Amino acid sequence: MEEENKTNKFEKFHDRNYKKLLLIPALLLVLCFVYVGIFYSINGDFIYKDISLTGGTSVTIYDNLDALELEQDLGSKLENVGIRVVYDLVTQEQKAIIFESTSEGDVVRDVLEEYLGYKLSSENSSFEFTGSSLSESFYRQLLIAILFAFIFMAIVVFIIFRTFVPSLAVIISAFADIFMTLTLVNILGIQMSSAGIVAFLMLIGYSVDTDILLTTRILKRHEGSVNERMFGAFKTGITMTLTSLLAVVVALFVVRSFSIVLTQIFTILVIGLCFDIFNTWITNASIIKWYVRKKNK
Amino acid sequence: MKKLGWKIWLLIVFLIFSLLAIFGFPPTFMQKGVLITSVETDSVAFEQGLNQGQIIISIDGNVMENLEAYSNYILEKFPVEEETKIIIQTKDGEYVLFSDKIPKITVSEIPKTNIKMGLDLAGGARALVQAQDKELTSDEVNDLAEVIETRLNVYGIADVDVMPISDLSGEHYVRIEIAGATPTDLEKLISEQGKFEAKIGNETVFVGGQENGVASVARSGQQSGVESCQESSDGGYYCNFRFAVYLKPEAAQNHADITGALGLDSENPGYLSEKLDLYVDDTLVDSLFISEGLKGRVATQISISGSGVGEDQDIAYANALENMKSLQTILITGSLPFKLEIVKLDIISPVLGNDFIKSILIAAFASLIAVALIIFVRYKNFKSSIALLITSISEIIIILGIASFIDWNLDLPSIAGILVTLGTGLDDLIIMLDESKQGTSISLKQRLKRAFTIILGAYFTTLVALFPLLWAGAGLLKGFAITTIIGISIGVFVTRPAFSEMIRKIGE
Repeated sequence: MEEENKTNKFEKFHDRNYKKLLLIPALLLVLCFVYVGIFYSINGDFIYKDISLTGGTSVTIYDNLDALELEQDLGSKLENVGIRVVYDLVTQEQKAIIFESTSEGDVVRDVLEEYLGYKLSSENSSFEFTGSSLSESFYRQLLIAILFAFIFMAIVVFIIFRTFVPSLAVIISAFADIFMTLTLVNILGIQMSSAGIVAFLMLIGYSVDTDILLTTRILKRHEGSVNERMFGAFKTGITMTLTSLLAVVVALFVVRSFSIVLTQIFTILVIGLCFDIFNTWITNASIIKWYVRKKNK
Repeated sequence: MKKLGWKIWLLIVFLIFSLLAIFGFPPTFMQKGVLITSVETDSVAFEQGLNQGQIIISIDGNVMENLEAYSNYILEKFPVEEETKIIIQTKDGEYVLFSDKIPKITVSEIPKTNIKMGLDLAGGARALVQAQDKELTSDEVNDLAEVIETRLNVYGIADVDVMPISDLSGEHYVRIEIAGATPTDLEKLISEQGKFEAKIGNETVFVGGQENGVASVARSGQQSGVESCQESSDGGYYCNFRFAVYLKPEAAQNHADITGALGLDSENPGYLSEKLDLYVDDTLVDSLFISEGLKGRVATQISISGSGVGEDQDIAYANALENMKSLQTILITGSLPFKLEIVKLDIISPVLGNDFIKSILIAAFASLIAVALIIFVRYKNFKSSIALLITSISEIIIILGIASFIDWNLDLPSIAGILVTLGTGLDDLIIMLDESKQGTSISLKQRLKRAFTIILGAYFTTLVALFPLLWAGAGLLKGFAITTIIGISIGVFVTRPAFSEMIRKIGE
């Protein structure tokens, strides 16, 4: 009985306030636009790019080097030097050091070899160089890929629901997801790699899932009231998102020590999934409830 | 227990097929022998036709159970005073070698599965090259890819994949991928144009390449090798190499015509007044005196020499050998048609690959356990939770099976793709479990059908979102797109229908 009471109370609250609730995502989205706008005017781009997108060299050296010392000694000789340390998952011992710079591959190799006093080979290191013109075109293409992915997704959503407002609600909520995640990634100062951009693409897939679930349950089902269908969908959807979230958080915890690529993908997914909960159950839910109520009047 | 429906049977068929694709039949982990990972091109083993990828089962009738057995046997047998016969039995046939030295082959354990790891996990090199200041047509790119491939093969790198590719913005590249250990001068080999010219004065005698003046190049035996090593004045060492080049008749005739017009060198008695100058990419690499006796002669064989330097004799020797090999390669393959630029070069060490894969497995396993716990707590139904886990694990097995079957190299983006599939797969299974409990006024079958409308909607949105990635960014993220597309498609058409049947069975 008590639980039913609680549901009733919440139902009443939601019935009264669901339109007002929309203000929260709207306001947040405006803030995000302002932030990214300012960010763009300062940095000339939407994100901080790492060397996979700006061009440059990354060398992983399997040696017990002192990161600070290396940075101090070589920071002035090469452009934009950054150093990261890779640890063993179990023993937490230092396994390797990742040296990054926007300088050309040959230059970085020569400087490092001189400093280390030995030759870099595939026995003791991994070497990655990307030319700046290639990375620029790479970045442009990934942006185009995301744009097209989003447009294709929108078309499919319209085909599925064939009604304007509910489809738009799904698309707005997916967009809000991506945009809010982008903003937070920038606030956290994460330098995005090409893998990170792919994570945004994954996010399109993940976020639309729950939105489609919600919209289908509300538009195409006729058992129970709109609220009942919505809460039913919420129960399913939140289980979906929480399992995904948990799986990703656990994986993130494991990969954090050894893979920068996977760490970035998982971090962006965690942020995105959290925003997905918010956008599906506040943004999308409110719009669709509003739509159904208006139509039924 | 009722009869299993066709959907479950379909899943079982796919699982069996996948396990066969992954482990091979008979399973590779039960196979005895060692795998040849490389064969030196100037060795007896190579001449006899031993190749990379073959599996040595026994030597002289002794079964090579593992790597240890192989090295023990070989080290015991070699080196010997005189040429000895060994019989190497591989899966494809028998090879008889006569040698007094250790066969120049490297071997490794047979991989336990057919799953192939991409360069970023297993190690190797990948380069993207582009013509400098020139837009190439796709024909030109194809030609270029061919020349690069022959060059790498002549140099002795066998496991190489050279592919002309183009991307969304219409740029053409040649992508070169080499598995395993990487030669130190890879960059030089793929980007140096390698235009070889032999000139006397301003006149060209011949240029490199077997389509041009070169008939053949000696690469082993008496006519080719590092001759002598010496300490240089600055404390280092240098070693000299020399090898013979055989010229085609036209080139030999050129030599006769040009030398015929030369006078004698007054300072160097016995030699002609001009020297034979050798240029690589317009840089003079060597100048040879031409002896008096060769004046006006049709010379079909000339000897080319050079050197390598190093801190100690071993390094100098190795460098001389490398220099000789690259010069020989240029002479045989001729020059690349364009000046090239390496726009991307990744040389990934194979050293940490295994650790990495282990860690990824730990991550996947930990995630799965976490998910299983949530599912169990939420549904408190042991049977459906188990069905859900079985379905998820089947999905992974089938993706890996298909990847092995189509020889797909699993790189890091592909692994991310598998994780996405797993995530969306779980989402769909949860939808099905919940839908099966909703709206009891209609039959369970109907309810599951309704679940599928949601699932198909989600499937198509994800599918179309992945398409652009197949072409973007020079195909470097294709792995992600392909594995995800395979994964979600298998999910929607094979594993989830089977899951719906499992739920129905449990429901009944």
